[in-house]
Amino acid sequence: MEEKVLTRHFGVPDLLRIEVYRGQGGYQAAEKALKQMTPAEVLEEVKKASLRGRGGAGFPAGVKWSFVPQNIPKPRYLCVNADEGEPGTFKDRYLLTHNPHLLLEGTILASYAVGIRAAFVYIRGEYETVARRLEGAIAEAYKVGFLGEKIMGTEFNLDVVVHRGAGAYVCGEETALLESLEGKRGYPRLKPPFPASVGLFQCPTVINNVETLSNIPFIIQNGAEWFLKRGLPKDGGTRIFGVSGMVKRPGIYELPLGTKLRAIIFDQAGGMKDGKRLKAVIPGGMSAPILTEEEIDLPMDFDSLVSAGTMLGSAAIIVIDQETSILDVLGVVSRFYAHESCGQCTPCRIGTSWINKIVKRMVRGEGEADDIDSIIRLATNIKGRTLCPLGDAAAMPILSICQKFRRELEGYLRHA
Amino acid sequence: MSPEYSAALRKKIDEVASLYPKKRAALLPVLHLVQQEVGFIAAAEEHFVAAALGLKPIKVREVVTFYTMFLRRPIGKYHLQVCSNLSCSLLGAGSLLDHLQRKLGIGVGETTADGRFTLSEVECLGACEQAPCLMVNFDYQGQMDKDKIDRLLESLE
Amino acid sequence: MPRFQIDDRVIESAPGMTVLNAAEAAGIDIPHFCYHPAFPPEGSCRMCLVEIEGLPKLELACSTLVKEGLKVRTKSPKVIEARKGVLEFLLAEHPLDCPICDQAGECKLQDYFDEYGLFHSQFKEAKEKREKKFRLGRNLILDRERCILCTRCVRFLEEITKTEEAGLLNRGIRCEVGVFDSEVVDNDYSGNLAQICPVGAITDSDFRFKTRVWFLESRESICPLCSRGCNVYVDSHPGYPRTPRARRVYRVRGRVNPDVNSYWICDIGRYGYAYLDEGRAPRLAWRKGGRDTRLTWAKAAQILTEKARSLVERGKGSRIGVILNSNLTNEELFLADRLFRKGLGVENIFLADPPPGKGDQILLTPDRTANRRGLKEAGPPVKAPGLKALADLDLLFVFGHYLASGIGPGELKAALAKVEAKALFSTHRSDLDDLVDFIIPTPVIAEKSGSLTNIDGRVQTFSAALEYEGEGLPEWRALLDLARELNVEPGLFSALTSPESVHRVLRDTVSFFK
Repeated sequence: MEEKVLTRHFGVPDLLRIEVYRGQGGYQAAEKALKQMTPAEVLEEVKKASLRGRGGAGFPAGVKWSFVPQNIPKPRYLCVNADEGEPGTFKDRYLLTHNPHLLLEGTILASYAVGIRAAFVYIRGEYETVARRLEGAIAEAYKVGFLGEKIMGTEFNLDVVVHRGAGAYVCGEETALLESLEGKRGYPRLKPPFPASVGLFQCPTVINNVETLSNIPFIIQNGAEWFLKRGLPKDGGTRIFGVSGMVKRPGIYELPLGTKLRAIIFDQAGGMKDGKRLKAVIPGGMSAPILTEEEIDLPMDFDSLVSAGTMLGSAAIIVIDQETSILDVLGVVSRFYAHESCGQCTPCRIGTSWINKIVKRMVRGEGEADDIDSIIRLATNIKGRTLCPLGDAAAMPILSICQKFRRELEGYLRHA
Repeated sequence: MSPEYSAALRKKIDEVASLYPKKRAALLPVLHLVQQEVGFIAAAEEHFVAAALGLKPIKVREVVTFYTMFLRRPIGKYHLQVCSNLSCSLLGAGSLLDHLQRKLGIGVGETTADGRFTLSEVECLGACEQAPCLMVNFDYQGQMDKDKIDRLLESLE
Repeated sequence: MPRFQIDDRVIESAPGMTVLNAAEAAGIDIPHFCYHPAFPPEGSCRMCLVEIEGLPKLELACSTLVKEGLKVRTKSPKVIEARKGVLEFLLAEHPLDCPICDQAGECKLQDYFDEYGLFHSQFKEAKEKREKKFRLGRNLILDRERCILCTRCVRFLEEITKTEEAGLLNRGIRCEVGVFDSEVVDNDYSGNLAQICPVGAITDSDFRFKTRVWFLESRESICPLCSRGCNVYVDSHPGYPRTPRARRVYRVRGRVNPDVNSYWICDIGRYGYAYLDEGRAPRLAWRKGGRDTRLTWAKAAQILTEKARSLVERGKGSRIGVILNSNLTNEELFLADRLFRKGLGVENIFLADPPPGKGDQILLTPDRTANRRGLKEAGPPVKAPGLKALADLDLLFVFGHYLASGIGPGELKAALAKVEAKALFSTHRSDLDDLVDFIIPTPVIAEKSGSLTNIDGRVQTFSAALEYEGEGLPEWRALLDLARELNVEPGLFSALTSPESVHRVLRDTVSFFK
């Protein structure tokens, strides 16, 4: 039986209340760090733990923190990325709903390590009720002196503000998130400079996913070695996999990195629903290239999925059945990116819309012989040419569907 | 005649604005507050928010038209937002949308004549494990089917 | 000084330069839409993508800084394909408007398609329909179908005028440039938006449908409507062999000068070009008894110099007067000083200028003359014209038609009636025409050459942007002729034959101009 880390206390009633959280050992890691460790020591421990970002990009958290310059007279900021817009993903909603204090404790630890005094939780607008719960937890933390000035009687101050988004997938991209937080349209910024040097309000900024930060208390409490043992040698910890689609038991499953995809679908999630047969799986949120049913025998970790031509992304597994038309899947995918494209750069703004128009025409039964090649060509012209990763996030799944399911798509074209 | 905004709203706006080093950063939270009170954000509201945060009105409109949750016109009392993204589509969101349109007699984007319901199609709500899912104002309703929808509609006065 | 390789050349560039700028400085053009040298890089059009050795993806030339040893390729197959890709995307949603679009002939989209594209459209879908005649403000029309969302217009209003009238509305393919209801663009630099728009999205209603740019000659000049001395292009029609042209000057555009006006000109300079063609003083004439007699300049000069000579010889030099204006060139003011003050000992040298207007913090100065500083540095001391002083004169040379402003017409008429001989050197018709004896038309600044000194003391030389088509002559030529007739300072004047030769003497004699 695998040991749970992040979700270990999920069954405890009222876990969102600070006294219950503390009763489970909560905030001990924060106390240990603030009173017995230096910020550099906290950062070093997180680096050793090889905690990779849980939002989708998988960048090592400790390394990201170390990019923040310490010796310049500007304030530093932490932004918690709770935008969770990647279709298929709902793990952060669970963490925020059931254990908001875990995130707060992780936020305190990260801020301490990097010398941050103000943290903003950018939470997607639709998570209104979740945001209220989080605000309640924050109020509790302030009340007992775990946030605000002189936290736990030390010299460390930290303010946390919940900031709600308003319906834009692109704001999950870190620089678009910053723009949105600054009260503007969610237009990604050119990189370099990177947020670690020029971020929120032009100050050094760390942006971390909810799940990433939720791991920090466990790393500090139990040490990097302990954390690494729960994952892979260069990839510490567990992942919360989200399974949805045509399975018997959709939901979150916290499992070690490296767990086999087939096992997650058929053992954990109960296998196909209603006796249906598996057709395809999207392994890491909609932006991850699709896998056919012959390709699902692989371990779920960053490197294995990259070798398979896809990605772990947000670890959101969407299971598609044989009765579902792949054209309908393509229709949802192309519509989504066209709708969510921010419009700033040429290839994504026009390319996603153009592809969507072609696919809609195919869905209407007016597809023509060269349409699939056109889609492939357009997606290839988007890939690698855009200002932010949303272009790639659109191009890669569309390319994978067109390439792996070409036969089926051709069947929907108008016959001459 | 420009609309009156409550003193409570103005107070809340000032409080929220003070949480940020730059007033402009409070724009999204303030727009949420105004929409909560007024129901939508039209030109008068854009002017009001612009003045409160020291911005040009066009900069407010830039933001209002970018984000899908900001509404520019009044809607029904209950905003039925049906997710039509992948997991929900796989599990029948399409037929639920059809059912709702037939039952309410309106199309997507429209409001019932009695002003009770507005029907929208939205992207992934982050509740895929409960697919097919819809959001009524801010309440998530998961694992919907036609019966559950009928019961839901009846429960909403 | 980092040295880097671009295509087959090695270039040394200044530190902190971008690949785009360094390439441009070396004569290598990298295509771009959203980049404008006046603003920080935007990076959204994606047209300037280049290949950099060692990097997996194509990178933007507009924002990549030059590093020692960088190897850039601007014409590799990957780069050409990327450019074609951007063009294809832009053209897919772009209307086929070239036949009716004013931008044709100076459109980046056309130019790049000609150079990098030339493919057939494979777009089979319905193009987005958008508003095509949106009144953006003042003389600006926005065609949203043509807009490629380079955001130069929005950025100009944010960074240069800081008036922020325009913004970007909606998201994705629905993105469009807009204003807030009736709060349209209404600042004195609005015309620059039409000039910086790389395509025909923002066009000038003043220029709309009037001609094609390839029929026009574009020549350099200096705007004389205030003392900033903004550099401009005057775009004119050279004329057909047998058909009369509809007009001569079609438009004035800004010309870059980092030391004077950057890339911009104000609307007063841009749209105030009517004076170049309208109301011009037509004929060289001698007004006698209410009738005009045509005469040559030689004849007029002879009459005027005889009068002057006779006054000087009879010790009545104090009855000669001159009215100058601050739109004369440095050379003309210098000649006026040497001829009248030094040569003839004239003390009654007056100044009559157009009235001042409002100024701003950007370019426009309250002083609405082109060469007030030049008057100070090269010209004679001047005083305000008084009616009594004018009435005591027997011979009056009036340069410029500005005397009437500020003085009551009846009083001026009465005063001038007492002056025996009056010669008016003027570019335009005015009320003064009825009050003088000789009317000598002169070219405007755009029609002559010389130099002007702007408000910051910068001397700018210019040559004619238009052919002078009147019967008169430039003031510098008139002053030289008068000086020669009067035999004033022959050592100086005999060697002077052109504004250039005068300028050389100016540099040698007046310390300011060294």
